[in-house]
Parts: sequence; C-alpha cells; structure tokens
Amino acid sequence: MSAVVAPPRPSPSAPADAPAGARPRRRPGLPGLPPRPRRGGRVGRTPASLSWPLIAALLVFSAFPFAYLIGLALTESTLARPLGAFTGLDNLTEALSSTAFKGSLWRSTLFALTASAVQLVLGTALALLLAVRGRRLGWTGVVLLLPLVTPPVMVGVAWKLLLAPVGGALPSIAGSLGLGDPNPLGSPTGAMVTLIVIDTWQWTPFVTLLVYAALLGVPRDLLDAARIDGASSWQTVRHIVLPLIAGTLVAVALLRMIIAFKLFDIVYVVTSGGPGFATTLSSFDIYRTGLQQFQVGEAAAATIVFSLLVGVFVTVVSRLRRRVAGAAG
Amino acid sequence: MNPTSRRVFLRNGIVLGASVTSLSALLAACGGSDSSGALDVAATPELEGETIKVLVNQPNLGAWKVVAAEFEKETGAKVELSPIPYDKLTSQAIRDVQSGAGEFDVFQYWYVGLGDLVEGGALEDLTDYIEEHADEIKPDDYLASIYDPYTLMDGRRWGLPFDGDTFLLFYNRRIFDEFGVQPPQTWDEYAQVAKTITEGGKGDVYGAIVMGQQVPIILGCSYADRLVGFGGRFVDESGKPQLTSPEAIAAAEALFAVGPDALPTPLQTGFDQAIPAFLNGQGAMIEFWTDMSVMASNPEQSKIIDDWAAVKLPVGGSNTVHGTALNAGFGAGVSAISKRKEAAAALVKFQSSPAVQEKIIGEFGTGGDPIRKSTLQSAAFKKTFGQAAPDVAEGLEGQPLVWPNTAGAVDKLQTLVDELALGIQGQQSAQEALEKAQAAWERA
Repeated sequence: MSAVVAPPRPSPSAPADAPAGARPRRRPGLPGLPPRPRRGGRVGRTPASLSWPLIAALLVFSAFPFAYLIGLALTESTLARPLGAFTGLDNLTEALSSTAFKGSLWRSTLFALTASAVQLVLGTALALLLAVRGRRLGWTGVVLLLPLVTPPVMVGVAWKLLLAPVGGALPSIAGSLGLGDPNPLGSPTGAMVTLIVIDTWQWTPFVTLLVYAALLGVPRDLLDAARIDGASSWQTVRHIVLPLIAGTLVAVALLRMIIAFKLFDIVYVVTSGGPGFATTLSSFDIYRTGLQQFQVGEAAAATIVFSLLVGVFVTVVSRLRRRVAGAAG
Repeated sequence: MNPTSRRVFLRNGIVLGASVTSLSALLAACGGSDSSGALDVAATPELEGETIKVLVNQPNLGAWKVVAAEFEKETGAKVELSPIPYDKLTSQAIRDVQSGAGEFDVFQYWYVGLGDLVEGGALEDLTDYIEEHADEIKPDDYLASIYDPYTLMDGRRWGLPFDGDTFLLFYNRRIFDEFGVQPPQTWDEYAQVAKTITEGGKGDVYGAIVMGQQVPIILGCSYADRLVGFGGRFVDESGKPQLTSPEAIAAAEALFAVGPDALPTPLQTGFDQAIPAFLNGQGAMIEFWTDMSVMASNPEQSKIIDDWAAVKLPVGGSNTVHGTALNAGFGAGVSAISKRKEAAAALVKFQSSPAVQEKIIGEFGTGGDPIRKSTLQSAAFKKTFGQAAPDVAEGLEGQPLVWPNTAGAVDKLQTLVDELALGIQGQQSAQEALEKAQAAWERA
C-alpha cells in the first residue's frame, strides 16, 4: 500500500508568502480582524476588571474548597467538629496506614485502567461498525444512548436484581440450563469483574458516540485512495483511520479514565464495597470514612492522596495525547 | 500606562466588593452553626398553627405517622416528617446544625450515634426539661435497660426514648417439621439445624439467613446476637474494649462457621435479601427485630403466616442465660438550633408518653418496640406481639447487650464489622479479626 502523504500545512501565524524556514513574525491579530491597536491607544486594553467575576468564581468554587480540604486534612476534624486542633500529617499517616484505603488505591487504578481500555476497544469497534453502516444513526443511536441516560442508581439496582444469588434472573437461567448457581458478586474477583462489566455496559456507548463523531471527520478521499491502492479494510483502519482519530481516542480514554477513577454509585448500590474490601474503590472508601465513620480529617487526607494518584495518570495520558496530536501534525 | 479614571475605579471597586461579599457569604455559610436561644423549660408553648419539622428513620415512618396524627389532633400543630435511611440519621442531623440550616426541629437518632450528636452540638440538653415535666414524662416508667443508653451522655440527658428494638430468633415451623429438627437453644444446635436443612434443601431451602452486609446495623447485629449469647460484652464498665475476650472470639467463630450453611452469601445479605427470603419460605431461621412477627403475619407480605414462630436468641459456651441485644433503638431530641424549641420539646415529650407509646405498639406495621414498663403490661403489647410477647418482655427487663454510644462509636463499630467481614470471607481467623478490632478501638 502506498503511503499517504499529507501536503504541508501553512502555518497560521506565518504569511503565505514567507520564505520556507523563516521565523514567523509577531502575531498581528486574529484572522479576519484588523491588527490589535498599540498600547496606549484610545481603544486600549480590555479592562482587567472583566476577569474579576471569573477569578471570584474560581476562588469560590475551586480555591476555597481546596483550601478547606487542606485545612481539614491538617487538623483534627470529625463531621461534628471540623477544623479542630492542628495535627500536622497525622491524618495523612492514618489514611496511608489504613488497609482499606491503601488497597482501594490499587483497586481503583486496576478498575479505571481495565474498564477504560475495554470500553475504548469495544466503543471503537462499535463506532467503526456504525460508520460502515452509514452516516445516520437512527434507532441505533437511541439504543446506544439508553444505558448512558439511565441513572446510575437504577443501573445498579437492575444489575443487582439480575445477579441476586437467590431469585436473580442470571442464577435462574443458569440453573435451568444446568450451569449451576453462579454468584459473581459472592467472590472478590467475580465482584470486581461484575463492576467492570456494568461500567462497560453503561459507558461504552459514550465512547462509541465520540469515536463515531471523529470517524465522520475522516476525509472520504483518503479512504477512496486507499481502496484504489488495494488496501484491505483492516489495513485502511490500521494505517489510515486509527492514526487520523488517534488524538480523539486518547482524549476519550483520558475522559473515561477520570470518570472511572471516580466511580461511586454503582459500588454503593451493587456491592457496598464487598465482599470484604474486594470492590472498595477509593471514592467509596473516602465516603465511608468521612460520612459513615465521621472521620472527615482522614477522609480529606485520603482525598488529597487519591487526587495525586489520579493526577499522575492524567498527566501521563495528557502527554501521550499531546505527542499523538503532534505526530498527527 | 493607562491612567485610572474615576469611572474605572468605581466600577472595579464595585466588582471587587461584590466578589469579596459573595466569598464572605459563602465562607460564613460554610462556617459554624447558628445558635438559637436556650430552651425555656417552664414555658407553655402555643402550638396551634405551629409547624414542627422532624427528621425520622424511614422504617419508623409508620410509628411517626401515629405520633403526628395524635399530636395534631391534640394540639392543632402540624408535624412534617422527613424520612431518611437509618445510616444517614446522625450525619444529616449534624450537618443540619453545623451548616446553620436548621431545617429540622426534632431529630430521631440511633442511640449509637448519641455521642457524636452531642459532640457535634446537634442536640439540646433536655435534663432540666425532663425534671420540670417529670410528672408527665414519668422517667421511672422507662425500662432501665433503655433509658440511660438512649438518652444519657456526660451526665446529661439529650432526648427521650422512642423505639426499643431487640432481637429474637424466628424460625419456620413447617420447614422444621419437614426436616425433623427442634428450635435451637444453643448456637451449636443452631449450626447443626442450619447444616441439616441446607444440605437437605438442595438449594431450594436454606437452614439459616445470616445478615452479614458490612455495615454496623446489619453485620453488627448478627455478631451482637452471638456475643450476648456467649455472655460477652463490647466494652466493660470503664469503657475498655472487650473484643478479645474468649466469649467475643467464640461468638465470632460461631458467626463464621455458619456461613456455608446460610443463604448465599452472608456478606451479600442485607434487609432487602433477608426479609423476602424468610417470608417466602426460602430460609428456615433468621435473627431479626421483633417486628418480623408483624411482617410474617401480614398476608400481603408473607407466605408463612401460619408457619412462623420465635424463640429467644440461643446461648453459647458456658453461658446459660438467654439474653438479647439492643441492636437498634432510637431516641428523639430537640435540634440545638431549632427556632421553636419549646414546641419541639413538647413533641419529643408527647411521642415518648405512655399513651402514645401504647398507641404505637397497638398499631400493626409501625415497627415500634416497647420502651416503658407500663407498655409491657398493656393489652396492646400482648396482642401485637402475640406469642413473642413474653420473650420480648424478658429480654428488655433483663440486661440486654448495649452497644457503645460515645463519640466515635459508629467509627469503631464500622472497624469491627470490616474485620468480621474479612473473617467471614475467609481471609483471617476470628482471633485475628478481633485482635485487630480491639487494637483499633484502643487507639481510638
């Protein structure tokens, strides 16, 4: 198959008639608009005060809660008496010595990476199938949206009823087929796999829709050229389509990973973190510590640790996304 | 540099001022609680037209409806009930007061959370109010086993009892007859009966339903039933944890051992699985609150109306005295920031009165359990509790197992059930589980 070479793109900041390799001049202004007036001119700068509401909003909704969180983490704080005596890193030490929390960090990572990887693969495959089928989604779109728009609590209740060891639909069907009495929620591995399955059922359509939207942006002439050159369907997907939508795929993976790290509702409804701590993910453990055991200081410290962990993964994937975007030109 | 004009200066000032004001308002809202005036214990509040808002435990809604109807009829006041799950009662009350929202005038509370509520300043001190109105409240009529654990903290009283709540062992007579077994008197017999029925039931019927969901009011109850049976205690007189006593360890071993013969699986079994399983005849034995007798007798809920019976909780080890545990149990108190404390106190007093308590007990489906000696003597109690009445009375008049209720008790109990759950799962022995729980309780 012949390589598809994209024509060089003109730099948006360089004049079209500039010699190759010349450094672009200072940006004169937005395309289509007259150059920005010089400093001190009558029209002048945009008043800085316009940004103050935004700054105030950021202070209120971001900086203040974060500062409050830090305050809770560094003090003796219960639900009844927040922000008590300064305790330094005691809450952090307590959180990091908690078997449940330490295990939850590992389980959250395992869950988030596995679930988002599975969903990315399945969602992309479904999107490709849809793209082959045509450009209109029709009823397929409705069916795809259904799990996505169902409240997670209802999703959890439905799955819990489906999997109930006594009277549940799955054991009944399995029993009638002579397959024994499966009880996936009764074992640590089964419960974790069940969570991944439920999450995948709910979120794969999200991935499908985003990837499908990206596929609509793949130039038709490239696909036609590949076909004329004798590329197979797989070769076309592998060498043309996937590289073109790689940026979207990484961005979707990033989104899914962040959402998966934060999973709470399905755990709360379906497994309550059990059996034992087998499905106690970090968000659920933090909820338990803060609002069921009332140890708000420890929960705040655990939240900071968990945020740092998520931050590490987000940073790694973000860098990957930038590299992919850079490679795609 | 651009000179700052007067107009720009004023505009910037207004924007900055508004931002700072908004932030200050938010900080104030997130700050401490509002403090209303103290309760006037001698006042006779005008209740006609008053609206009193009550935060109630969802399973007790039926009982509160009885209270509300009677109170409205007698006083002309309106009672608004907000039911929430039991495990949210403590945190919701604390947050209502801490935030200064003051949404509620009366809090129903789980007695285990009393210390946290008092520490959080959520409840009004009712000590003087109770003394002032002792003629109506009749403190001596409260069951001694209930009055102090439900209301007393740091030498002061913070509420009045609302609902007793003890456990019995319910069983299905038809299944017992079918398998030729007798109601167990000891935990060893219980295990043997469970094994016999489960093995013979071949997946259609299970010998025992063991509620083991990893929350204090579920798994904690199952453990407490065995702990009292073996003669153990959570803490001694001085409050020191007693989780590594031989009785406590034997209780945990008994709990772990029955797992394979219980409705699958104990760790997955909460109220929503346990109740229908027993009422549908899928399980032969269940330890439950006394109101299971009402549910089992309700033809709309139960397929075992003529088949159920109840006995006292089994005993174990060297203990031969049947006991019971105060596994739930609720009081009602006045919100520390209520704007109508006198009216709220009047409702708290009213709900706990002998007449209203008898009314609650007499109504099917309220989930009410006795808190007063006089109630145990009433015809209403004997009629509602039927064959279980003598056992319930004996349990409450004895020395039921009291759960810890000081500040941090909920946290400790969660630690205990976490360790027990790992034991049920097979990850650690009873000894290991309880040693870890003991260490955590001592650290706290």
